[in-house]
Amino acid sequence: MVSARDIKKIGPFLFEISARFRPDMRVPARFFADDQLFESILNDRSLEQLINTATLPGVVSPVLAMPDMHQGYGFPIGGVAATALPDGAISPGGVGYDINCGVRLLASRLEIQELSPHLDDLASALQANCPSGVGKGGQVKLKPGELDELVEKGAGWALRRGFATETDLAHTEENGCLEGADASKISARARERGKDQVGTLGAGNHFIEVDVVERILEESIARRIGLFEGQAVVQIHCGSRGLGHQICTDYVNLFQKSIRKYGLTLPDRELVCAPFSSPEGQDYLAAMNAAANYAFANRQVLAFHIRRSFEQVLAGKTKNHQLFQIYDIAHNMAKVETHLIDDRRTQVCVHRKGATRAFGPGSEVLPVEYRDIGHPVLVPGSMGTASWVLVGTTGSMIQSFGSTCHGAGRTMSRHQAKKSVNGAHLRRQLEDRGIHIRAGSLSGLAEEAPAAYKDVDRVVDIVHGAGIAKKVARLTPVAVIKG
Amino acid sequence: MTIADNSRNPDGLKGVQEIAHTADRALCIQGRDLQEMLVNAALGMNRLMTSSEPDAGAGRTVKTVEIEALDAEALLVSWLSELAFWAETAMLVFHRFDFKIVSPTRVRAEIHGRKAASIENHIKAVTYHHLAIVPTADGLSATVVFDV
Repeated sequence: MVSARDIKKIGPFLFEISARFRPDMRVPARFFADDQLFESILNDRSLEQLINTATLPGVVSPVLAMPDMHQGYGFPIGGVAATALPDGAISPGGVGYDINCGVRLLASRLEIQELSPHLDDLASALQANCPSGVGKGGQVKLKPGELDELVEKGAGWALRRGFATETDLAHTEENGCLEGADASKISARARERGKDQVGTLGAGNHFIEVDVVERILEESIARRIGLFEGQAVVQIHCGSRGLGHQICTDYVNLFQKSIRKYGLTLPDRELVCAPFSSPEGQDYLAAMNAAANYAFANRQVLAFHIRRSFEQVLAGKTKNHQLFQIYDIAHNMAKVETHLIDDRRTQVCVHRKGATRAFGPGSEVLPVEYRDIGHPVLVPGSMGTASWVLVGTTGSMIQSFGSTCHGAGRTMSRHQAKKSVNGAHLRRQLEDRGIHIRAGSLSGLAEEAPAAYKDVDRVVDIVHGAGIAKKVARLTPVAVIKG
Repeated sequence: MTIADNSRNPDGLKGVQEIAHTADRALCIQGRDLQEMLVNAALGMNRLMTSSEPDAGAGRTVKTVEIEALDAEALLVSWLSELAFWAETAMLVFHRFDFKIVSPTRVRAEIHGRKAASIENHIKAVTYHHLAIVPTADGLSATVVFDV
């Protein structure tokens, strides 16, 4: 069990556990925090899990966790680990069950006071048009064979079907499609779970949120991105739904055998892995990419329904309510990227589980309009609290394999949150603050209470202070729709 | 061997206790043997998913489950994953289990259930997190974490 005396502070916001702490560690483990968050991090098993990731075959120094870290399974949530190619590990546990869970930010050119009289109607329209909860299928009916196209083309499928614009794709990580996705590598079960869920929100901590840009901190970058103070914007937080969950389940199961085949010893069954270049590793990569593409397509269809909702409610009442896309990013993914390691440009497989890519200025993979400023990084806070828009930095490329935080990070179990928070009371509190709430259940609302999460402002201050992302704008909610 | 229908146990669910996990849901499950553990795990997961009674108007559904697994832990994960699949895709919740074969690496059973009126809590996946089926004085015990 790791304790405070095993941890060394190596920077204003950076702590390290030496690779000598445990004999099976191959590299050191580092995490970003301030002195106050440091104390809370010791309260769950997230550091133990971070140390476990340092045992992965082929892992490259160091493994990392972001300040929103908390206990997950296998990797901690907030964990980042890069493995060397060709034979370093690829691990489904380093991505998570909700492959390409991520966030999309859409923006209008409306001032919030123009939208306010219509918020209640808008919240109702969003809830009606964006299905959530178990048993609620999407409005998109796929033809036979079309799921294959969807998982192999991602947002490109949505463009063909008329759910997307070219700019939407350009402003999505990887243009909304990971190459190398292979529909034949996903199981019948995954197909069955995913075929009716396209354009659905899911439940848990997934949401659609209408926000106001409360404060701009970097005026010129905000202007370049398309943000201004007082602007009405919309976030979508959602992933690959049942298809992605099943793919992870299938490959975690399959890899239980792989570790025996390749003679691997791991401290946690959820860390099971295979060599990246092995048939099993490549099959998982192809299936994971398929799930990632499903998630890009899913968020794209939700964006289409959100645009439709705005049009339904606001046509003839406001101008400038059409929504354009700021960016769409993933926070559960494994990707092959090139990073500077020991002064050499090296290809590695970067696992981010509850962590977001944060590529800085100069990165060639970014759309032209973001190439000199870094791409937007979207960090949703807990329900009813703030969210943040940041940009990637050169510092993240140096310190964290181009990664930063993804959210606020839980501090309280769902079970405890339901016991200590009254859902109806919470709803009234949020509504008294002017936030319109549409939720599938009051217990689900209680589970997502702000008290169950870390302070997102603190988390963002840490990544900004550490130089692994730069604050641009703070958003606050005016309507929340959740399953 | 047929296990009695436990869908209306008025005394609460024996052999199952919810325990805290930061981001997800976790159950501590006991059973006198592996078969009872599978039953208790299923009923415990039902309790996580829904508080509503089965839809009395819905007909009873019977499915056959056949699982082969590497070990007892993998068997438990696959068993619960099967039940979670039917809940998600067909709103089916199973309360009676008729086991033909139970071993640490194999299960064959007929499972009986009905459509639920609602499923409030979605089980995304059943995980291996800290999963170890251990012997106790009264039989077996394990903790299962569900991704929600």
